[in-house]
Order: sequence, then structure tokens, then C-alpha cells
Amino acid sequence: MKKLGLLLSLLLLTGCNIAVLEPKSETASDQAFLIVFSFWLMMIVVLTVFVLFVRFVYKYRYTDNKKDFMPKDVKGNKKLEATWIILPILLLAVLAVPTIAITYEQSPVAGDQSDHEGTHIYVTAQQFSWTFEHETGKEVQNDLVIPEGESIILHLNSKDVIHSFWVPHLGGKVDVLPGEELVYVIENPEIGTYQGKCAEYCGIQHAKMTFEANVVSIEDYERYVNED
Amino acid sequence: MDIPLFGDTLFVPTDVMAAWVFTILMAIPIGLFILKKKKVGLIFDYVKTTNHRKIGTLYILFGIVYFFRAGVDALFIRAQLAFPNNDFWVFQGEKYNEVFTTHGTLMIFFVAMPLLLGLMNVVVPLQIGARDLAFPFLNAVGFWLFFAGSVFFNVSFFINMTPEIGWTGYAPLSTEQFTPGAGTDFYVFGLQISGLGTIFTALNLIVTIIRHRAPGMKMTRMPLFAWATLITSLLIIIAFSVLAIALYLLMFDRQFGTGFFSGSEGDPVFWQHLFWIFGHPEVYILALPAFGVFSDIISTFSKKVIFGYPIMVISIALIGFLGFMVWAHHMFTVGLGPMANTFFAITTMAIAVPTGIKVFNWLFTIRGGVVRFTTPMLFALGFIPSFVMGGVTGVMLSVSAANFQFHDTHFVVAHFHYVIIASTIFGIFAGLYYWYPKITGFVLGEKLGRWHFWTFLIGFHLTFFPMHITGLEGVPRRVYTYTEADGIFLLNFTSTIGAFLMGISMLFLVWNVYKTHTNGKKVGNDPWDGRTLEWYVPSPAPVQTFDPMPIVKEIDPLWYTKLENRSLRTTTSTRPAPIETESFIPISMAMALFLLSLGLTFSLYWLAIVGGIGVLGLFIVRSFTDEREHVYGKEDSYE
Amino acid sequence: MNDYESALFKDKQIGFLIYLGAEAIMFTVLFATYLIFTPAEQGPHPTEVFKAVSVILSSFFLLSSSGTLIAAEKGLAKNNQRKFITWFAITLLFAMIFLGLEIHEFYTFVSDGYGISVNVFMSSFYVLVGLHAAHVAFGIGWMIVLFIHYMRKIPMSLFREKHKIFSYYWHFVDVIWVVIILLVYLPYLL
Ligand code: HEA
Ligand code: HEA
Ligand SMILES: [Cu+2]
Repeated sequence: MKKLGLLLSLLLLTGCNIAVLEPKSETASDQAFLIVFSFWLMMIVVLTVFVLFVRFVYKYRYTDNKKDFMPKDVKGNKKLEATWIILPILLLAVLAVPTIAITYEQSPVAGDQSDHEGTHIYVTAQQFSWTFEHETGKEVQNDLVIPEGESIILHLNSKDVIHSFWVPHLGGKVDVLPGEELVYVIENPEIGTYQGKCAEYCGIQHAKMTFEANVVSIEDYERYVNED
Repeated sequence: MDIPLFGDTLFVPTDVMAAWVFTILMAIPIGLFILKKKKVGLIFDYVKTTNHRKIGTLYILFGIVYFFRAGVDALFIRAQLAFPNNDFWVFQGEKYNEVFTTHGTLMIFFVAMPLLLGLMNVVVPLQIGARDLAFPFLNAVGFWLFFAGSVFFNVSFFINMTPEIGWTGYAPLSTEQFTPGAGTDFYVFGLQISGLGTIFTALNLIVTIIRHRAPGMKMTRMPLFAWATLITSLLIIIAFSVLAIALYLLMFDRQFGTGFFSGSEGDPVFWQHLFWIFGHPEVYILALPAFGVFSDIISTFSKKVIFGYPIMVISIALIGFLGFMVWAHHMFTVGLGPMANTFFAITTMAIAVPTGIKVFNWLFTIRGGVVRFTTPMLFALGFIPSFVMGGVTGVMLSVSAANFQFHDTHFVVAHFHYVIIASTIFGIFAGLYYWYPKITGFVLGEKLGRWHFWTFLIGFHLTFFPMHITGLEGVPRRVYTYTEADGIFLLNFTSTIGAFLMGISMLFLVWNVYKTHTNGKKVGNDPWDGRTLEWYVPSPAPVQTFDPMPIVKEIDPLWYTKLENRSLRTTTSTRPAPIETESFIPISMAMALFLLSLGLTFSLYWLAIVGGIGVLGLFIVRSFTDEREHVYGKEDSYE
Repeated sequence: MNDYESALFKDKQIGFLIYLGAEAIMFTVLFATYLIFTPAEQGPHPTEVFKAVSVILSSFFLLSSSGTLIAAEKGLAKNNQRKFITWFAITLLFAMIFLGLEIHEFYTFVSDGYGISVNVFMSSFYVLVGLHAAHVAFGIGWMIVLFIHYMRKIPMSLFREKHKIFSYYWHFVDVIWVVIILLVYLPYLL
């Protein structure tokens, strides 16, 4: 209970800037849904355990009048044990269904297995900066501009070690590997400016390998990629 | 700091300077103390011992030393992260990367592992009625290999060549091209040597448990700690063998120009597969023994036999088995494809089931019992809710699509500190308080024990709970700084306070040990009103235990004899005990391997060859000084 | 062997078999590495590199050395000193020939320009077959030490035990070689 109170007060303290739970794209919303959904399922588990725990520990604590009390040995109980095998399995099955569905839709794939339609962006990572190339051939460093409401197809490549592309508001991270292209799709981003960063430890200045992701209207995007 | 040296200037960072000064300052009083108290003989006694209790004590001693070392690293991490744009001492950029690498590597390999192996060494033979580990000599070799590996790893810091590749050593960052210095080699060889020692000790424990049980101590009557040790040892054999080859390949990549993990043909993801095929079972290697400790402690201090013994055993085995099928849940973002991602998501979730069985069985062991809040029991009780909180975040992490968001953030850091500290570290503390009399003959003070427990528990939640939230706010792990605009200052600051509280709580333990040894009283065989065989032998456990040998006819044999006011039946006809010896060969072997590794690290091939010849030579010496020669051959002979 | 000795022997036997299990896992990982990286996209192809003659020849010696070791053990069991020494010496000889052939093979590979860092196929070949060769070399040293123990006349039961443990090792090394033939060489020699 004390911990729960702590949780609530901490949440209040920080206001509500939990990036991952303020999704600004369809991809990120699906993920946020999974996070929240799994969180509540897990709360059931945590609360069950907490309640039993507090009750048992309190009720069966040592007191002086139990000094000579000898508890009865209970070797086990088939029914009870079956309960806590079956209920968790059911709970996990409930969790597994949306997990599988969304994973199938969102998992990054190798470059040659992708035939998605949309706006292609070629992302190249190297220690410690990002280069974004647009379909028109325009190349920009550390500044990603993408159109709203489209499928953004990221082609990721690394020039040296493994990096990871991450814009928390727009979707989960994808590793950027040397020697193998990965493709990740962000669906339907909303207009705004978001922080992007490298999420795989990549060397001395890993912490500073950040970029800005600007989602702009389609017209603005057209103008952007054609100017130089 | 620049030091003038023969007209040159040598750059030495101040933290390294401080470490030297600190080490030397510590060495002087300790050295004087040893000389004054005439303890040199005692040290030699431990150096050449092959006795399981003494070797266990050595494991525990060094595990604790490294816990302080790695804990100070953690405090540096937290100090650097306390404020936005902070510049704490030197811990920015490269230094920060070094400090989390040493923190993680030390904690996993040189803190958790030796402490658990130490407890197993001390306790398991006593619990099952064995007179020692099956191979006492090999046990010493295992310990000294661990020791040599850990010293090798630690040396790197003192000569300012600390590895900076994370405890996971991901390629290609860990290959020659990107970390050309010797730092990574210290990681490779340090883990390789100590890993070898771990394999030997695991093998030894398996044979001990299979072959050296007291008469009547069937497998189905063994305490759960012994069971956990058995299964853990099996996991070690498999997992550490895989790690050994992973490191072997990395060594070739770094030293001999191969390209398994980098270059146009190599595959960096292959390293991740190998590392996690080791790494995931490793986390259960850390957790299962702790589960065993808690099972024994909860049963003892609830005055009840463990609830559902058979299914407790089965679930340990199941966790161990499933542990080998989930490794790619650390790799959801490397593009293994939707098939693999869902497969590993499901298997990972499945592990929650056997773990849950254990949690509920513990709860129902308490139910209907009489709960005594001794320090070991407090740690066991603190474990249950804390571990479940960490376990359920594990299940959240296993939701593969959501993991794209969680991965490599402080949410993961929160998850694993919750599970590791709640299970492994609490388990170790609980075990130490519980079995301390078997090691030293003293019971640690209860009052200071309670202080230790509560400050540690509160500090622990204070440190790691906020990290769930910062992780969701988009803070990646392994970054040394953040800005005010990130809005995570308060949470981070709370974490830092918590970490220092944990630091302070450790001082209670130190104080407790000191007080106990200066004015504590020795206790008898059975200070806790225990249930299992270790409470049948004197405290501290003598070198010749179980003479005569008890005959076991039920689970918790000691308990029921006390209950029914009878004494354990004993026998004098027993299987032969393992042959104890004293020898300097184990420590010499470890030193030779140390030199071999040093030679390879710095490309001093002559030194490597000297080390290699040393090892082989010692094998031969060993073979000619085999202690069996004196006890064999009473009957048959050459024609 | 009396009861006392056979109990201790059984401990050692199980312990050593577990150790071999660990080694088997190590080799499995190396086999997997080899299978993943062979053939490589560039550089030498296994068919250019491997020569059937040297494989057949070295296999002959190593595989038959398992047989000769069994023969030696029979001699030991019957307390037939001559038989034991003869077969044991032949085993040692065969092992040395194998090692010589192996070194020769590596030497010709390297002098043909197929060194360890040429491509991933060669790398994974060397780390696997090289580790096996190191095992053979270790086994040779072990045999020599065993032989000295025999001459020293340590208690017979202890010698039998040491010999038995060694024979497990030796057969294990042989089995690994069979798998090497099957997975490493054969697919590219047929
Ligand atoms: C002691 C160590 C330990 C233990 C026991 C665990 C246990 C678990 N871990 Fe954890 N884990 C680590 C140590 C550990 N882990 C470490 C060190 C890392 C990071 C490594 C690194 O990257 O540096 C990590 C990372 C890690 C990841 C990868 C995160 C990432 O990098 O993206 C994942 C993902 O699936 C995961 C999952 C799990 C799960 C599902 C369990 C399960 O075993 C938990 C099971 C327990 C419970 C669920 C609670 C009790 C159960 C019940 C009360 C029953 C009812 C419950 C349900 C129905 C849900 N862990
Ligand atoms: C057994 C495993 C274990 C344990 C016990 C701990 C214990 C702690 N860990 Fe650690 N940790 C890891 C394993 C572990 N950790 C791993 C594997 C990583 C990943 C590394 C990587 O990314 O590669 C990690 C990473 C990690 C990070 C993330 C770094 C990053 O990604 O940027 C942080 C940050 O706060 C942290 C903090 C702590 C703290 C505060 C403790 C505390 O519990 C420590 C408590 C101990 C002490 C405080 C020391 C004892 C007391 C004294 C020395 C007395 C003196 C006291 C005073 C002066 C006050 N750890
Ligand atoms: Cu894992």
C-alpha cells in the first residue's frame, strides 16, 4: 500500500510527460495500448499477491500467546495448486493475443523482405550522428522531416557499430545494424516536433547522439524535399 | 591528473589516482593488523585449503569485497545522474561508460556468482550429509580460477584501461576496430578464466549431490536449496560453456584477425545470440539458488514444512528448462522477424507460470504457520512482493511490440534491478544471516540486522521504482546526462537518494559483523530451531563433519526428531569421504592462467607461453602428487 | 578395485563425463558457427581448400587409435604387461602421426594462402579443427604422463582408474573428429 501511494505521488510530481504513453502515431498508439493493457493485467497479479501476502504475514505473525503453538504441517493441496497454474495461464493467454497481433504487424524486417508503400526515408547512423536521405536525394544530418498521415518507411543502415533509432512519441526502437538493412514502418504520424535518440549503446558519445523529428503537413514536406 | 615521468607526462585520471591511494591506505592497516595478530599462518591455511567451508568462506569474502567495489561504481553512476547536465567528478562520456561496464560485469560475475557459489559450498554438503564436495582439490581450483579472473578484470581499472563495452559486450563495438585498447581484453580473459572455474565448481556440486548424500537422504527428501543448487549447476554447465566459446571467438576476432562478429561477412547479431543463450539462463542461475534459500528460510521461520514440495521441485526444473528457450527476448529490436519475435514472447511469458507456482507456494507455506520475524525471514518476506513487482515488469517486457518502446531504457534497468536485488541479493543476505553461525559460530546481531534490512529495502524501492517512469519518459540506459527539458530531474534525484540509502544500509552490515565478532557469543548447533541436517553439526561446521553419519528417513529430518523427542539414528559404515588435501597447486594454476592472459592482452607472447607452460606443468605436478596414491592399492598390484 | 576405490572412481567417472558434456556443448557451438559461416560469400570455397587424401589418412590414424587404446585396456585388464605397453605405444604413435598430419595440413593451407583471416569460412574452420587438434596434443601429453605413472608402478587400481578416465577423453576426441568429418569435410569432398 505504501508503495502504491508512492507510485501515485511520483506520477503527480512528474506531471504527465510520459512520452511513450502520449503516442503521436498509429504505431506508437498500438504500443501504448499494449503497455497500458499489460500494466493493468499485471496489476491484478500484483494486487492478488500483495493482498495474500499482507493477510498471511499479519494473521500468522508470531505473538507471545503462540509461543508453544505447533502449526499443522500441510504438505500441499492439489486444488489450490491447480488454481495457480490455470489462472495465470489464462491471464497470459489474454495478454498473448494482442501481443501476437501487434507484433506481426510491427516487427522490423530485413530490407529485402519489405514491400510496403509510402514515404521512404533512408537512415544512416554512424558514431555519433544521423543522416536522413529523402526520396529526392536530399540529405540532412540530425534533422528528420516527415509528412503527417502517411506510412513512413525507414530504411536503416549503420556505417560502424550497432545503433538504435528511437523517437518515443512516434514508435518503438529499431536497431541499426552494419551490413544489414532493416525496415521499420511508422504509420500516421501527427504534426509536431519530437525528440529522437540513439538507444543502443554505441561508444563514447552515445548519450549525445540525438536528433529532432519534425512531422509536417504533406505540402510542407513536398516543399522541404524539393528545396535545397 | 598529469604526472611527470622521465621527462614525459603521463595522464592519470583522478579517479584512478584516488583508487590507488585508497587501496594503499587500506592495505597498510590491514597488513599491520594481520602481522600484529599473527594471522599470516591463517592466510596460508586458507590459500592451500580444499575444505568446502573454507573455500565457501573465501568465495563469500571476495564476493562482499566486490559488492562494495561495484556498489561504489553504482554510487558514481547515481551521483552523475543526480542533476541535469551534471559534471560529477570525471564521470562523463568515456568514464561513465567504463563505470557502468564495470558495475554490471562485477555485480553479475564477481558478486552474485561467488556469493551464491560460496553459500552452496558451505551449505549444500551439510544439508545433504556429505563430508565435503566430491572433489576437494577441484573445488580449490574452481575458486582460484574465479579469483584470478576477478583480479584480472579489476586490474584494468588501476592501469586506466577499463573496458567500456557494457556488460553485454556487444559486437562490433567490442571488436578490435572500435575498442582497440586493452580494456576489452581484460573483459574477455577475466570472464573466460573465472567462467572456467565456475564450470568446475558446478560439476563438483552436481557429483556431490548425486553421489554423496547421507544414507536415506533420497533426492525427494533433499532440502530445496540443494535442489536449486543441482538444477542451477546444470544450467551453469550449459550456459557457461556457450559463454566460453563466445569469448573464445571474440578473442580470435580481437587478437588473430578473424571476423566472426564484424566486417563484411561477420555477423554482429551472432554475438548477441551466443551472449544471450548464455545470458538469459545466467539470470536464472542467479535467481534459482535464491529461491532455494527462501524456501528453506520461509519453512523454518513459519514452523511448517514447505507447501507443495514436489511441485516446487518441478517448477525449479521447468524454469531452468524454459530459461534456454527465451534468449531472444533481449533481441526483439534486431529484426529477427515477426515469427521469431512472437515465439520468444510466448515462451518468455510461459516462465511466469512456474515462477508464480513458487510464489503462491511460499505464501501458503506461511499460511497457518507461526511467522518469526528474524533477519533472514525479513529478507525472505521482503523478497516476495519486491520480486513479484520485478517479475511482472518482466512479463510486460516480454510483450514484444511493447518491448520496442521499453527496450534499452531505464524501464529495463528498473526491471532487472528489481528481480536481481529482490531475489539474488536479498537471497544472499538472507542466506548469510541464516548460515552465518555455520561459517563462523556467531549469530549476527538482530537489531542491526533489522536496520540493515529496512534501510536496504526502502533505499532499493526508492532507487529503482522511479526508473520505471523515467524509462517510459524516453530515457535510454547507458547515457550519462540529460537536460532540464527532459523533466526527469526529480525522479532521478530520488533514485540517487535511494542509492545512497542502500550504501548507508551496507554500513549497518559492516558494523554488525564487527560488533558480532568483538563481543558476540558463540552459539550451539541449532540457533534458529532449524529443520535440516546442517543444524545437526556444530557451528562453525568442523572439518570432519558427520561422524557418525546420520540416517535420514524423511524430509526435514532434524525437525521431526526434535518434535518427537528422539535423536537421529546414525551409522558408522558409510561411503568413503572425499579425500582432503592441502596444496598450493590450485592458486599457482590460477596465477599461471593470469600470466597467460596478461601475455595475450598485451601481445607479450613470451609471457603467454610462460603462462601456458606453467599451466601444463602444474597439471603434471598435480598428477604426480595425487593424494589418492596413498589410499589406493591396498589390495591388488602389478603382476 | 575394492569398494572404497570403486566408490571414489565412480565419483570421478561421473564428474569427468559431466566435464565432457560441457566440452561437447562447446564443440556444438563451434560446429554451429562453422555451419553458419560456411561457405563464405567471398574468398576460398571449401572445395578448393580441402584435400581428401589428407583427411582420409589422418582419420585412419585417429580413428584406429581408439581401437588400439581399447586393446591396450584389454591387456591391462588381463595384467598382460607386454600387450598393454605395445598397444598403448601404438596409440601414442598414431596420435602423434595424426597431429603431424594435422599440422602439415594447416601448414599447406597457410602456405597456399588460406590463412585464418582470409574469410569467415577459414576462420571458423581453424577455431574448430584447431581446438580439436589442441585436444589431441593435450591427449598426447596425457598419455606420456600416464605411461610414466605406469613405469613408476603407482597402485594398480589407481592406474586403471587414470587409464579409464583418459580413455573416455580419447574416445570423446575421436567422436568429435567423426562429427568434424561429417560436418566439416564430407559435404565438400563428395
Ligand atoms: C535474477 C534475474 C532475473 C530474473 C529472475 C528475470 C526474470 C524475468 N525477466 Fe528479466 N532481465 C534480467 C534479469 C532477470 N530477469 C536482466 C539482468 C536483464 C537485462 C540484461 C541487460 O540488457 O543488461 C533482463 C531483461 C529482460 C528482458 C529484455 C528487456 C530488454 O532489454 O528489452 C525481458 C523481456 O522479455 C525480460 C523478461 C523477464 C521475465 C518474463 C522474467 C520472468 O522470469 C519473471 C517471472 C515472475 C513473475 C511474473 C512474478 C511472479 C509470478 C506470479 C505471481 C504468477 C502470476 C503472474 C502472471 C500470470 C504474469 N527480462
Ligand atoms: C547483481 C547485480 C546488480 C546489483 C546488485 C546492482 C546494484 C545497483 N545498481 Fe546496477 N546494474 C547491473 C547489475 C546490478 N546492479 C547491471 C548488470 C547493469 C547493466 C550494466 C550495463 O548497462 O552494461 C546495471 C546498471 C545500473 C544502472 C544503469 C546505468 C546506465 O544504464 O546508465 C544504474 C543506475 O542507477 C545502477 C544502479 C545500481 C545501484 C544504485 C545499485 C545498488 O543496489 C548498489 C548498492 C551498494 C552500495 C551502495 C555499495 C555498498 C556500500 C558502501 C560502499 C559503503 C559506503 C557508502 C556510502 C559512502 C554512502 N545499475
Ligand atoms: Cu532474459
